[in-house]
Amino acid sequence: MTLRVDLKSSIPVYRQIVDGLRILLVNGELNPGDPMPPVRRLALDLGVHFNTVAEAYRTLAEEGWLEIGRRTGARVVERAVPNRADAQSGEAFQQRLKELVAEQQSRGVTRGRIARELRRIADTLERT
Amino acid sequence: MPVPKIIFTVVLLLISALFSIIPGLTRPDLFFAVTVPLQFRQTADAKRILRRFRIIVWSSTLAAIAVELATGLALVALLIVAAGFFGALVSSHGRALAYAAAPSSILEVNLAAPREGLPGGPIVALLPVASLIALGVWAELNFDRLPPRFPLHWGFEGPDQWVATTPSTLFGFLASLALLCLFLAGSAWGVLNLSRRVSTTGARAASERNFRRRIVQLMIVIDFFVACPAWFALFQPSAMIMNVWGSALAVVILGFVFSLIRLGQGGSREALATGTAQGDHTPDACWKWGVFYFNPADPSILIEKRFGIGYTLNLGNRWSWAALAVLILVPLALTGLLLR
Repeated sequence: MTLRVDLKSSIPVYRQIVDGLRILLVNGELNPGDPMPPVRRLALDLGVHFNTVAEAYRTLAEEGWLEIGRRTGARVVERAVPNRADAQSGEAFQQRLKELVAEQQSRGVTRGRIARELRRIADTLERT
Repeated sequence: MPVPKIIFTVVLLLISALFSIIPGLTRPDLFFAVTVPLQFRQTADAKRILRRFRIIVWSSTLAAIAVELATGLALVALLIVAAGFFGALVSSHGRALAYAAAPSSILEVNLAAPREGLPGGPIVALLPVASLIALGVWAELNFDRLPPRFPLHWGFEGPDQWVATTPSTLFGFLASLALLCLFLAGSAWGVLNLSRRVSTTGARAASERNFRRRIVQLMIVIDFFVACPAWFALFQPSAMIMNVWGSALAVVILGFVFSLIRLGQGGSREALATGTAQGDHTPDACWKWGVFYFNPADPSILIEKRFGIGYTLNLGNRWSWAALAVLILVPLALTGLLLR
């Protein structure tokens, strides 16, 4: 159960923490009831400001993944899955995918490799 | 040659021997506090830098011994050794910078890494302080029954420096020891809770945890030793008790030092030195002269030393300065109280 952050990435560390934790939550590596590492501990290990981690936890709490207690710290909670994504969020998802693909292409990643990665992700989604 | 001079010379030689081996104790991808490729130490350039470092260290030691034997100025001799060591380090750090490698920018944190606590919990770590407080309360209640003077310093033949038992000397003495105990317990807690873990996954993480545990154990054991002189001073059980105490302390410290040398800085000698240069995830530019870490963007207060064994303060953190101020001002105030 590893959180991976690239300090040289153009994506802000806060965003990387939120995205990385969300992957672990969606994949069931972090389950309801699991305690999250204390903000201070995670910030120290990543070498980032405490507020960066606290903000990431707050974002995930707003999405319904975490519950933040003043004394108990952050904990994973059971999250009600939204019924169905509306058309607007579907479009936004497509737009983000296109942006990601374009970004990878501009970095020199071949179309074939991007397609393989997307296929691999699709296969994993269908299996789970 | 008089015995003290022989002992002093041997101590200087031992210090220099320790200085000479320090470059080999750091993480394999850190060389004179610079992040380098893992195999760099085996290159001719690295060996040349190391050889030059050792030549400077040993030359200054021989010069210091000559000065001490000729003039008897032990303090000057120590300063020569310190200056030689620092000069050698700064010079080698500058040379190593030419071979700096870009450390990995990827950080992986194991969210399920085991929590590390003080051995025996905080109660055990605070027992020495509690015992000194209890001793202070007992002394206050039985002040008339206390000996008219108590020792402050012990030599080989027993106590050699005494002070009259007055409230300021007695409680100043107890407070000094209590603060030292508190400092040790606090530092042990700080290593576990205020320092950055370089690795949290795999074999490296396990050996790093082992290293941290050993450092913390050392501080807690010394914590207990520090409280003892207060009891010896008030109850004066035997003139030679401090010899037993000193010998036991020396054995314990030596045992831990050997154990830490075997583990290497951050447990790096225990872990497999493979993969890309990782360093310690701190930027080279933040290590001034390879010794002082100054990084305001890093929330850590304590950080693994890049040169040597153990931890150092992040001088870019204002809490480090607060801790330093307390460390310097409080003992000064207490010494003034004791000497008044």
